Amino acid sequence: MSRMLRWGIGLLLMVSLLFAAFFLLPFRSWLPGGTVADVATAEVVNGSAFNRLFPSPEPGEQLVFTQEKRGFSEARLKQGQSIKALLAISDTTTAPEARSKFAASSQQLQGWPLVEQGNQASALLVAERFQVKVIGQGAGLDAEQRHDLIGAFDLEGLAALKPARAARAAKALAQGRLQPVQIPVPTATKEAAQSVPAVLEPAA
Amino acid sequence: MSTVLERLDRLPRRNLTVLALKGISTLVPGGWHNTTSANELISSVLGSSDAALIAQVRARADVLSRARHEGYGRALSLYDAVNRSQKAAGGLRLLANVAAVLPLVKRAANLTPTSDTLQAVDLSLKVAAEMLAFTQVNGLPGDSFAEFGSSLGEYAGEARVRMAALICFDALLPLGDQGLQRLDGLLGRVGQRELRLSPAYAGMAAMIPGRGDEAHLGFLRRGVDQWLGWAAGFASDLGLSGQKAVQALESSLGPWQGGFEQLATFLDAFTDTYQHTGVQAVARRLVERAAAEI
Repeated sequence: MSRMLRWGIGLLLMVSLLFAAFFLLPFRSWLPGGTVADVATAEVVNGSAFNRLFPSPEPGEQLVFTQEKRGFSEARLKQGQSIKALLAISDTTTAPEARSKFAASSQQLQGWPLVEQGNQASALLVAERFQVKVIGQGAGLDAEQRHDLIGAFDLEGLAALKPARAARAAKALAQGRLQPVQIPVPTATKEAAQSVPAVLEPAA
Repeated sequence: MSTVLERLDRLPRRNLTVLALKGISTLVPGGWHNTTSANELISSVLGSSDAALIAQVRARADVLSRARHEGYGRALSLYDAVNRSQKAAGGLRLLANVAAVLPLVKRAANLTPTSDTLQAVDLSLKVAAEMLAFTQVNGLPGDSFAEFGSSLGEYAGEARVRMAALICFDALLPLGDQGLQRLDGLLGRVGQRELRLSPAYAGMAAMIPGRGDEAHLGFLRRGVDQWLGWAAGFASDLGLSGQKAVQALESSLGPWQGGFEQLATFLDAFTDTYQHTGVQAVARRLVERAAAEI
């Protein structure tokens, strides 16, 4: 076998292995872009924690949960067959730009800033992190009704929520264990994660 | 890869698929609106036509549909897989129908699988795809049979029309009016060999939970069990039957003079109703979330 042929076969093998690694093996989940805005899932509060904070429906109405994801939970408020409103709680860690609209808010509800978005949507920012939103559907709701619905959420319970990772970081280490060395990594997500505990101090 | 809303904008406004759905929707109270504009959908969910707000929702929806963990893209790829295999199976059966008339290739026609069991496998794969897409979009674990069963009753709008289309096109037309009742028995006879013969299975095997054909078959049977009870009630509530489905389709597609089975084959080969309504349903859920997050 000539030397050229051996080199050729070797190269071919290497290229096909690389090809297989990138296209056939499930490496895709390791690549960035898997989560919303590339924020690690542990830094976002899971939607199942939000579900119990939704208001309980009035007689004749039904609350049907439609989506439960990391940092988001949504339910439909139904009366009979028609949808009256969409109720949602979201963690703004993955959408920091959503917080900026509250800077200009003039209204408050239970001490938290409240804004209107268009004719049918009202939003409340709790603990500078969780957004509670009510969007009127179908015939629509007036602002008063939407504010009543937002007020019916368990806002204190929501303000006390913490993500898994921040809670773990706050835990004290056992006697004799050294604090792990924090290497300062200058990325945007890392800074956001470190600023979270400061935001989540109890409101009272 | 295009985002969910881009795909919604690209959906056809008028073609065979839309006409077939329009026809079937005459059987479903509440009717069906062919949503093909993302901005229109956003403004109807938001109850506002403010261009700045719509642009914000759209940008957020695109971020969400690009994130793989969120499952919106995967739900669409499930519908795509079902659609591809439906077309393949439909084309195969169409070919068999044509070949059966020509004396020389008659023998070849006998080779193509046209049996009821294969149709039952096809239907069960579609139901499984519906359930998996549902769990992807709602954020539940992949085998939440009970949640799927209970939320079927909540289906409104396009999902009702999609279910009516699924029941008519894939059960009542090819399997007869007792199709839903026969389905359980037919699925009982399905073995690994039949499963492997179905082109739909090859495309979807990787997305069904469990390892191996046996586990997948168990998953399909359990999924269909959940769905069947609901589907039988739904069909009897609306009074669905093969005859009514053909009449409804004739109102929009024009007169049909072949048999029910041929109509089912024709619809399989030339329409993509499942994918069309699937994109619309996923887009609606995505917009509802994006509107709540901006």
